[in-house]
Amino acid sequence: MNSPRFELTRIPLFKRVVTSRWVPWLFMALTLPIFLLAILTGLFGTPAGSRNFGIIFVWIVWWALVILVMVPFAGRLWCAICPIPAPGEWLQRRALIQPRAGGKLFTLGWKWSPRLNNIWLQNISFLAVALFSAVILTTPFVSALVLLAFAALALGVSLLFERRVFCRYLCPVGGFIGLYAQLAPVEVRVKDAALCRTHTDKTCYRGSDDGYGCPWMVFPAALDKNTYCGLCSECLKTCPLDNMGVFLRVPGKDLQTTKGRRLDEAYKAFIMLTCALAYSIVLLGPWAALKETAYAVGAPAWFVYAIIFLAANLAIVPGIFLACAWLTRKISLHKFSLRRTFTEYAYVLAPLGLAAWAAFSLSFVLINFSYAWQVLSDPFGWGWDLFGTANWTWTPYFAGLQSFLQIPILLAGLIAAIGMALRTAHTQGVPSRAALPIVAFCAAFTMVLLWLYV
Amino acid sequence: MKREWFALGIVALLVIVFPASLFGYQAWRTNSSDARVIDVIASSPENGGWSPDEIRVNVGEHVRLRIAAPDVVHGFEIPALDVRVDEILPGHVQEVEFVATRAGRFPFACTRWCSVNHWRMRGVIWVSDPAQPALPAPTFAPPLYQQLRIDIDAMHPAQNIPPRKPSAARGAQLNLRVDADFRTQSPDAVFAKLRADAAYDAYDDQQLWDAIAFAYFQNVGAENIANGARRYARDCAACHGERGDGQGPAGKDLPGLTTMHPDMPRGPANFTDASAMLGASDALLQGKILRGGMGTGMPEWGSLYTDADLWSVVAFLRTFTFDDPPAP
Repeated sequence: MNSPRFELTRIPLFKRVVTSRWVPWLFMALTLPIFLLAILTGLFGTPAGSRNFGIIFVWIVWWALVILVMVPFAGRLWCAICPIPAPGEWLQRRALIQPRAGGKLFTLGWKWSPRLNNIWLQNISFLAVALFSAVILTTPFVSALVLLAFAALALGVSLLFERRVFCRYLCPVGGFIGLYAQLAPVEVRVKDAALCRTHTDKTCYRGSDDGYGCPWMVFPAALDKNTYCGLCSECLKTCPLDNMGVFLRVPGKDLQTTKGRRLDEAYKAFIMLTCALAYSIVLLGPWAALKETAYAVGAPAWFVYAIIFLAANLAIVPGIFLACAWLTRKISLHKFSLRRTFTEYAYVLAPLGLAAWAAFSLSFVLINFSYAWQVLSDPFGWGWDLFGTANWTWTPYFAGLQSFLQIPILLAGLIAAIGMALRTAHTQGVPSRAALPIVAFCAAFTMVLLWLYV
Repeated sequence: MKREWFALGIVALLVIVFPASLFGYQAWRTNSSDARVIDVIASSPENGGWSPDEIRVNVGEHVRLRIAAPDVVHGFEIPALDVRVDEILPGHVQEVEFVATRAGRFPFACTRWCSVNHWRMRGVIWVSDPAQPALPAPTFAPPLYQQLRIDIDAMHPAQNIPPRKPSAARGAQLNLRVDADFRTQSPDAVFAKLRADAAYDAYDDQQLWDAIAFAYFQNVGAENIANGARRYARDCAACHGERGDGQGPAGKDLPGLTTMHPDMPRGPANFTDASAMLGASDALLQGKILRGGMGTGMPEWGSLYTDADLWSVVAFLRTFTFDDPPAP
């Protein structure tokens, strides 16, 4: 666990920025009107998706920013500046900048059910969005309604429950960001664990006059993975011992240990992997009838599509992986239960899934990014030309480079997954060959994606 | 506390004033234009067709239609007002302006093959005259097929079939005068009349057919045929086929005449079928185009085509059974 890390908060300017109470507000104040504009353009703008700010800026610009930049390089950074929880959080605090005495929050104080202290609801909410994604991603009005629903749910939940329950347990985006944030080269961690043990007030969790208890309901002193750390920096503000820091680290450090691996998080890995494959086939593949079926919500053929889509996510792909896990367990002479083998090896799919999503996203982001210039000048599609870019023609960027970028990304994901599978075998104390079925699964998945893309 | 109010003020400014200014700008833009802007969405009929599909304007009103196509390429035309947009690309917004100079009910339609149900993509513009709120009563004569009491749903097979496809070029060389009313008489009826006339005994059957082809094309004129060809390519070829053989891709699943004549083959009419075409007068063909096919899958074009358009399409249809039409 003593892998090298560099404390960014030792840089005075960096520390000043992350401990400033103005910075989170500033980012949210910037993203909130953009979010609002995405909803308004969806509700009142042109129904032509490629001419609507809501579709282009949410599903191309924002998505590219999150999956290609923020998650791989900064983990949950998006969660720190996301505008969706902002109104609820400000209402909970009845403040935008200043902390309340003792970090007091104004909510009904309901406790989240311990039974739901997992990400199953996030898995469900992501699958629900994914199932209708052909419509949501292309129809501005529907897209706006979905964003509105997120905002309303986040606000309602903030008034009833403590802290960021929406972000932690409900947000469909937060689930996969958390999974992949474990690969990021950035972390918020305790500087000296021994020092924490001497501090009985635990202000990082409970809050203090200097800030609020961890909004993500994790105990920062025991933080050992990025999954549920929203990089909000409250713990840096509330720690009186200056014992919390932001660190640069070895990417994927959280996945070097099998400690605390859970079935709900494992399923998130399956859902993300399956969706990347399903989207590649349905949205990018040459099968127009399949794409039309995914779009024809409510039609008899769509129900068949929905059943296959859900079965692939929840049963078929995990089922194939279960067979691999069964073989792995057999090779490792039944040292652990099948459930444990299945769950612990499923995390191997995190780098594979992130690579798959990056490759999939590159295929449409590079092609469609130029629409952003048009909608910037004419967000509603009402014939405006605010910045003189409304009539810039659609231009695919670096289309020839697409495959050259996708292949190394997918191969890097595969190599990382193989490395993790072998490490998992070592951690479990079983021979490396036990990981072979899992490696075969990862290789087969990568081959299918390469066949689709190249 | 001052910091809180400042932060709150900035947020309020961003979430209230910013969107309000966007809508305000649009309102100012609309009001400062001398044209009344009407937003129209063009979607394939399966996705809702025109929205709105009824537009109401006033005589003399400067109207700007902003047409957006969210799904596929569409076209737009109000034939009676001579308003058209040839191409609205998916995701694009096209504007067209017009001033209606007369009151009435004017259909508009998509002019691009946007889906198999493309022909259903139609709407209506009501133009009112505020000085005379009641619409003028339509003034038109019944179509010729009704005046002639032609049953356009019945089969009218030709009694005489030429040995070869009649050629206007060969007919021109005969220097033979054929006086006939091709609108009311089928080519077959004209042939029968000529054959019965002893003055034409010197000519064989093929020569008479060639003479009829030449006379027909002389009668309708090259310009009409060219206009018909344009309409046919735009509105008919998808079902009836480029070669008029009824093999167009959009017509594959249409019932065609089986609705009325179960023994007939399915699909759109085959204009290369000499028996059906030579047995049909121009009035009959015009009636079919004008009224549509009563369950056959053939749309009606009477509400969109002018009388001249209808006759020009009929003239072009004859080029599938008569060779060598005149060049425009």
